[in-house]
Amino acid sequence: MASAVSASLSQFRDRTPIIPNRPKPRAAREPGSDQWPSLLQTTIVATALKILLFPAYKSTDFEVHRNWLAITHSLPVKRWYYEATSEWTLDYPPGFAVFEWLLSYPASWIDQAMVRIENLNYDLWATVCFQRSSVILTELLLVYALHRYTKTSPPSTRRQTHVVALSILLSPGLLIIDHIHFQYNGFLYGVLLLSIVLARNEATVLYSGILFAVLLCLKHIYLYLAPAYFVYLLRVYCLDPKNVFRPRILNVFKLGTSIIGVFGVVFGPFAVWGQLDQLKTRLFPFARGLCHAYWAPNVWAIYSFLDRILIVAAPYLRLDVDYDAVNSVTRGLVGDTSFAVLPGITAQQCFGLTLAFQLVALTKLWLAPSWDAFVGAITLCGYASFLFGWHVHEKAILLVIIPFSLLAVKDRSYLASFRPLAVAGHVSLFPLLFTAAEFPIKVAYTVAWLIMFLYAFDRLAPAPARRRVFLLDRFALLYIAVSVPLMIYCSLLHSIVFGEKYEFLPLMFISTYSAVGVLGSWLGFMVCYLS
Amino acid sequence: MSSPSHSHRPRKKRKLAAALTRSPTTLDLVKFDTEDNNAATPEFPLVAFLWPARGTTSQWILLPLILMTAAIFRWSVGLWGYSGFQQSPMHGDFEAQRHWMEISINLPISRWYFYDLQYWGLDYPPLTAYHSWLCGKVGSLFARGWFALDQSRGLEDPALKVFMRSTVIISEYLVYVPALIIFLRHYSRAEGTGTTSSSIALVAILMQPATILIDHGHFQYNAVMLGFVIATLSSMYSGRLLWSCVFFVAALGFKQMALYYSPIVFAYLLGSCLSPRVRFGRLLSVATVTVLAFAVLLGPLLIGSVFDSYTTPQLSDLPPPPFLAERNIRLDPNSPAEMVVLQISQAVHRMFPFARGLFEDKVANFWCFTNTFYKLRKLQGIIDLPRLSAVLTLASILGPMLIIVAVPKRALLLYALATSAWGFFLFSFQVHEKSVLLPLLPMTLLLGSRPGLSKEYRAWIGWANTVGVWTMFPLLKRDGLQTPYFVVTLLWCYLLGLPPTSTNAYHDPEHENIPGRPLAPDELRTPTKILHFQTYVVMAFWHLLAAFAAPPEDKPDLWVLSNACIGAPCFGVCYLWCFWKLVSESGLLDDYSSTSKGEEGWRIAMDRPSDSDKGVI
Repeated sequence: MASAVSASLSQFRDRTPIIPNRPKPRAAREPGSDQWPSLLQTTIVATALKILLFPAYKSTDFEVHRNWLAITHSLPVKRWYYEATSEWTLDYPPGFAVFEWLLSYPASWIDQAMVRIENLNYDLWATVCFQRSSVILTELLLVYALHRYTKTSPPSTRRQTHVVALSILLSPGLLIIDHIHFQYNGFLYGVLLLSIVLARNEATVLYSGILFAVLLCLKHIYLYLAPAYFVYLLRVYCLDPKNVFRPRILNVFKLGTSIIGVFGVVFGPFAVWGQLDQLKTRLFPFARGLCHAYWAPNVWAIYSFLDRILIVAAPYLRLDVDYDAVNSVTRGLVGDTSFAVLPGITAQQCFGLTLAFQLVALTKLWLAPSWDAFVGAITLCGYASFLFGWHVHEKAILLVIIPFSLLAVKDRSYLASFRPLAVAGHVSLFPLLFTAAEFPIKVAYTVAWLIMFLYAFDRLAPAPARRRVFLLDRFALLYIAVSVPLMIYCSLLHSIVFGEKYEFLPLMFISTYSAVGVLGSWLGFMVCYLS
Repeated sequence: MSSPSHSHRPRKKRKLAAALTRSPTTLDLVKFDTEDNNAATPEFPLVAFLWPARGTTSQWILLPLILMTAAIFRWSVGLWGYSGFQQSPMHGDFEAQRHWMEISINLPISRWYFYDLQYWGLDYPPLTAYHSWLCGKVGSLFARGWFALDQSRGLEDPALKVFMRSTVIISEYLVYVPALIIFLRHYSRAEGTGTTSSSIALVAILMQPATILIDHGHFQYNAVMLGFVIATLSSMYSGRLLWSCVFFVAALGFKQMALYYSPIVFAYLLGSCLSPRVRFGRLLSVATVTVLAFAVLLGPLLIGSVFDSYTTPQLSDLPPPPFLAERNIRLDPNSPAEMVVLQISQAVHRMFPFARGLFEDKVANFWCFTNTFYKLRKLQGIIDLPRLSAVLTLASILGPMLIIVAVPKRALLLYALATSAWGFFLFSFQVHEKSVLLPLLPMTLLLGSRPGLSKEYRAWIGWANTVGVWTMFPLLKRDGLQTPYFVVTLLWCYLLGLPPTSTNAYHDPEHENIPGRPLAPDELRTPTKILHFQTYVVMAFWHLLAAFAAPPEDKPDLWVLSNACIGAPCFGVCYLWCFWKLVSESGLLDDYSSTSKGEEGWRIAMDRPSDSDKGVI
């Protein structure tokens, strides 16, 4: 029936053949130009999850940033660094204050009460939505930086770089710190990565330097990475690559003026007003102790742990115990840390150690300046400052993980030292979220990320060109396996066995465990980098 | 994971499968570049996400990742509100479930179905009650106060919320998820779906927005019942009919709504005993196992009650249910036999509240739709509405039942279950808007079938799901779940390449609409496209209206009502689509129509030489 109708209808049809407009043949594909899932697709799915996390636990950092919105919105610039209604005073550089000031305008359209200084601990739903979505939106800069990263990498390594980009985009560190705990690291690491990527091409090295200066004005923690930038820019941009004794005057001038310009614009007004001393006390609060309330997993965590052990062992070893200090470290007090048995550590010693270990990496970078060596030097600067720094936050581990990710699939020896870092670094972030409702998310997300990307890296990382040094590989596997019982103990068994008592024990175990991993991966990376 | 279970397969077949580098469903997943056969573009984003896992990635890696991702999304939805939060005095489903845990751990079993019926009296079958008892026992280990009798009513402790949410997700991961994985394994083997396709289907089914939003947002345990139904199907696919009886009784025992499926399950079991030849032995064992399963299901309740009637001397406050009381039947709780009758009759009375009226609230079914345009109250004296409802329901399910009895093929089960559940949803008595989960389940499971990821199936299943979750929006809005609703629904549509995020399933830029060109095998016909697009536009427009426009003062429910009235005809179309697919797949019409030549031609055109693209898939 239907065919009869269509047959009779076809008599009336225009018989001229219709040639469909064929889509123009595209330029020949580069091998590996299309990688799936694309960054955009992953961003969309990740954003869906991040929106669902709006009602999740938020730390005091949420109030900190709201307070900064209020300060920058309602006060003249002169008073930004003197305002102290809230205990969460402005302690980021002026660049970030300007960022908050920009955000405060849409904030005031959404809810005028959000940007009033006296509204302490103000967290109505509109405010939560606004602040959370501002984190998501500003993080798009990270996506852009990763996009640039994949586009500028050589086609033969597209698959590797794409997976690395996805791993950074989906990083559990960023999810835990930014989207639950609340900070703007995604945006800041976006600036950092963009700057690192710009350093890849000789034509854009200048912009890389400028961008890093901007980054320093946004958050001064990146000062830890500055030595690597200094050496790299000096060697590659300011000096003649053939002869290090011949400076390229024009380049020196361009870089110098632009960096001085950036700092001048940001800090100049405060210098004119004579507020630099106030800024210094706000930005560098040296009154704080060696270790944070929760020990960041670094050398000092191991040092403190040894001290705790020695307190128990002291009577047998006939050591002197400083009984005033016995109760200080593990009580979570912010302030000066004192050790009961081991000698105390001063800020100068910390900086000395940090610089000394950074110099090792910088020497290599000076001798063989390449982009890979630059990224390695950044990573090692991050490592040194994290491991030996004064009053390091556990969140600073991203300073190591994110640059290291760029090198993780360079070859299998790098991957071998990346693995313990990925486990330790992320496990050490778990105590940031202590509420029961967020426990499944942080654990499931981190475990899924570790399985997915360590597996993918494992399949993509090529064999190293030189002889491999099998230092810690077997231990690494054992190390990763230990994390499972550790997590079970810390999250469940401890509270069943001890109840409310010895609350510091799980935290101490986690940070010591993670410190061992970070230290081990540092040693492994040093070997890779220097060999 | 694969080798031991495959050992019975003939060797030859596996070699053949290895030679074909592409599974038959590959063309549904990727589009090959016309110039460069090696360059494949995923058809929809979900394919892209599973693209890196194709080929050699072990299921031991892939499966945990899928399950963890699904769990993270579920748990994140759970961070949002639940039904009845801060709504005294009755609260909502969350409180109902908590209250059942409270009564089941604190009261003797004989009083479970009788205690303070005005305040969330137990109105689900016994398995729900046992489940509540277990959850309540475990929860009491954490905090005694959560389930203290009468004292804990309306408790809104955040830790309690975490505990309750975890019981939902754990129950789901113990029942629904394993059942789904095993079912998809049997199903894809029977249908010849590729491994990648079946993983994609698994993710799509797990991320189905309606189930996530109702169970983990609104708060219910539907996934347990649905999981038992999937287990039933899975057992049918693996040929273990007796297990399927057990699982189906478990589903019925968890929520009486599983009755929506029962005609088809019954018809299939009956049909498989009758054809190709009559097998009385099988019929007898199926019947015996079903009765035994019911006995086990009711056992604890009845034995416990009888025990109570011995131990407690005066059980006076157990009145017989109204339908017995009306007939002046008195049952003495202290007589064991009468106790048994009393318990069963009370449970039945609680489960099937015929006194509550034809439909509750605004449900997108036939009755609410008709009532909007013609007040059914006017018919009250003329027609017995419950009877009419029963007749219409029977009429709507008779077709699929008869087909299944005549052709008891496994491949037809999902279509028939969907048709029957749609029939029940549209015409039966006392339907709740959440019941749309029941017809949506078998329809969504169809994604795992051989044409499941083709444009046609994707478009229809996606459309049904979107309309389904959209009709629940007024309910979700009351729970403060608007944001999760939009996020989860749009995410699912995005992953499957459906409107409003993509028109991929409806439009192929490389095959322009040339007059006289034969339809591609999975291309949708123009009326379908118009219908679907109109619905999507109407739904979007409705959201705008409901968000920004106040309804007229004399019709405060206008938006909710219009939602139901748009939903109902769409569900009617879904019923017809499932029914049509059932009829055409059953082969009963094969004698009347022959495959058109155009379609054949397309099939040939789509077949590509397999040697040129080795290593792609």
